[in-house]
Amino acid sequence: MDRLKIIKKNIMEKKTTILNLTEEEFVHSGNRACSGCGLSIIYRMGLKALGKNTILVVPPSCLTVLQGLYPVASTKLPCVNVTFASTGAAATGVRGAMKALKKENVNVVAWAGDGGTGDIGIQALSGACERGEDIIYICYDNEAYMNTGVQRSGTTPQGVLTTTTPIKGKLQEKKDVPAIIAAHGIGYVATASAAYPLDFYDKVKKAMTISGPRYIHVHTPCPPGWSFDTRFTIKVGKLAVKSGLFDLYEIEDGEFQLTGESKRLVGKEKPPVTDYFNSQGRFKSLDAELVKKVQERVDAKWAKY
Amino acid sequence: MALSFIDGNEAIARAAVRAGCRFFSGYPITPATTIYQQMLKLLPPLKGVCLQGEDEIASIGFCLGASMAGLKAMTATSGPGISLYSEQISFALSGEIPLVIVDVQRLGPSTGSATKGADGDIQFLRWGSSGGLPVVVLAPVDVRDCYILTMHAFNLAEQYRCPVFIASNKEIGMTRESIEIDSLDTPDLLTRKYCPEDQPYLPFQVPPGTMIPPFLPIGGSRLVRQTSSTHDPEGYITADTDIIGQVIERLDKKLVTNVDTFTFFEFDSDPDAETLLLVYGVTARAAKTAVEQMRKGGKAISLLILKTLYPVPEDFIKQCINEVKRVVVVEMNLGQYVREIERLAESQHVSHFGKMDGELISPELIQQVIAL
Repeated sequence: MDRLKIIKKNIMEKKTTILNLTEEEFVHSGNRACSGCGLSIIYRMGLKALGKNTILVVPPSCLTVLQGLYPVASTKLPCVNVTFASTGAAATGVRGAMKALKKENVNVVAWAGDGGTGDIGIQALSGACERGEDIIYICYDNEAYMNTGVQRSGTTPQGVLTTTTPIKGKLQEKKDVPAIIAAHGIGYVATASAAYPLDFYDKVKKAMTISGPRYIHVHTPCPPGWSFDTRFTIKVGKLAVKSGLFDLYEIEDGEFQLTGESKRLVGKEKPPVTDYFNSQGRFKSLDAELVKKVQERVDAKWAKY
Repeated sequence: MALSFIDGNEAIARAAVRAGCRFFSGYPITPATTIYQQMLKLLPPLKGVCLQGEDEIASIGFCLGASMAGLKAMTATSGPGISLYSEQISFALSGEIPLVIVDVQRLGPSTGSATKGADGDIQFLRWGSSGGLPVVVLAPVDVRDCYILTMHAFNLAEQYRCPVFIASNKEIGMTRESIEIDSLDTPDLLTRKYCPEDQPYLPFQVPPGTMIPPFLPIGGSRLVRQTSSTHDPEGYITADTDIIGQVIERLDKKLVTNVDTFTFFEFDSDPDAETLLLVYGVTARAAKTAVEQMRKGGKAISLLILKTLYPVPEDFIKQCINEVKRVVVVEMNLGQYVREIERLAESQHVSHFGKMDGELISPELIQQVIAL
């Protein structure tokens, strides 16, 4: 009954639902992603939202693997694969060429992983934001370098085991990339989750109505990298949001507001962060003290909402 | 006696630690990542540091800082990463900072094919830094070489205060072989020469009769200046063309005039041979088989496997090629090291075979090339 209510409410608010989602596909079935890959979900949904007048700019990442080798290439859109450090810069160049060629109504969309966005690619992205480039930048955050065998990245959460943080887990806290991008004062920054694909779809749609730099940061569960069973991708992604660890929000012209599931959580009791931690193998070396600290941080953050 | 069943990357890591390396940094990249993983296992128990950078620029920067502070440092990457190292390679050259850089080469250009091998970076390693001053490039053939040459690489970096490259290849780095480490002919360890306590220290002052300035660590008890700009013996930036010229000439000569002391090779000479097959890297393994088969078939042929590629051991190569009428260079690129041989050959005919398609060059193909 609750779910029906939500669907009805979404229809009233002109949100996309399974009933009115476009049937057009821009990703072929049978790509090279791992089973249960969160990126597969958002890539399909994101491209549905963007439509055919789109040029993708993609650095080395799991996405280049997902896009595949001929003859199992998966994307029905033009895509430039660029160097790891240059996504924001290459997208700038593509947009510049579109302007020079007087091609309007083209979405220039950079789509990169968390390492390609928040580590090696942050300089080019920051430059593009500061210049006010007319691009949409989508970061799928699977919280480590998965493509090269699960090395820690700037957005890997504290305590997570990776092949380069193998004993105690990562010592540092997760880098807040959307906050860094929002500090550039661009028109649209949003977060989303692969577990809420329609919310992501609507955010991409909204981004398309705005000009200038737009940034969407998508929490993207990764079964092999996070060590959970492939059937639990949505469950794990939802737990991150419901426990208050990863928040869904939009910052439009500087105005912050929670959206979707996170908005519904305000003032409600949330499951403890341990529910999320226990759902994956990568948190197994967390000690009680750190768990307590993380829970306190989450509670303090939510006290402000 | 114990055998180790390890790949080239692990051999490099183990040898580095044995050579005294206590600082490693890198950034994830196939096929070099497993060097990082090995160093992460080996260094912390020895109180060494293993650090992941936010990109390759950071990773080599960490190493330069650590080396200037006195630690033996190493980094490892592959084609796209070595490109980002470029500026800091010239910094290490100019500032005379010891550093070992492993390039586990993969098929380029650019991202190319992450899981296919090549020897396409050979000239880049030599010339991929501004100013064009010489560097040391060592090329292992197998896992055993990875171990031995890594130890030499640290010695050379320390002795000559310069960056030293190990030009490995995905096919060596990720192939396991049995080696008996205890029986390897490894060198005694060298450490950079420190300035004695009772002598005044000028960071780039060279004692008479030597070409390398003594070292003191940044952050030690005495003031040390370090710069990549043109500098005088005191480490101050200078525009004096005489001084600049002298320093640059010394940086060139300190390696080029000493290459005979670190020319590593295998030379299998047949006095009746008119043809010399010249190879390096993983291709040498196919070459050995090809030569063996050709000799069984009654053909006289000599084989030179070079393991010190740069500075080019010119006298040694001339000596080898003077024994024959024809030199055949086979390499996993479209013709890089053959340029060095062409300029050294006098009357000898130099021919070349190379390919870059991600496949190893087979012994059969080498035989066909030589039969031409």
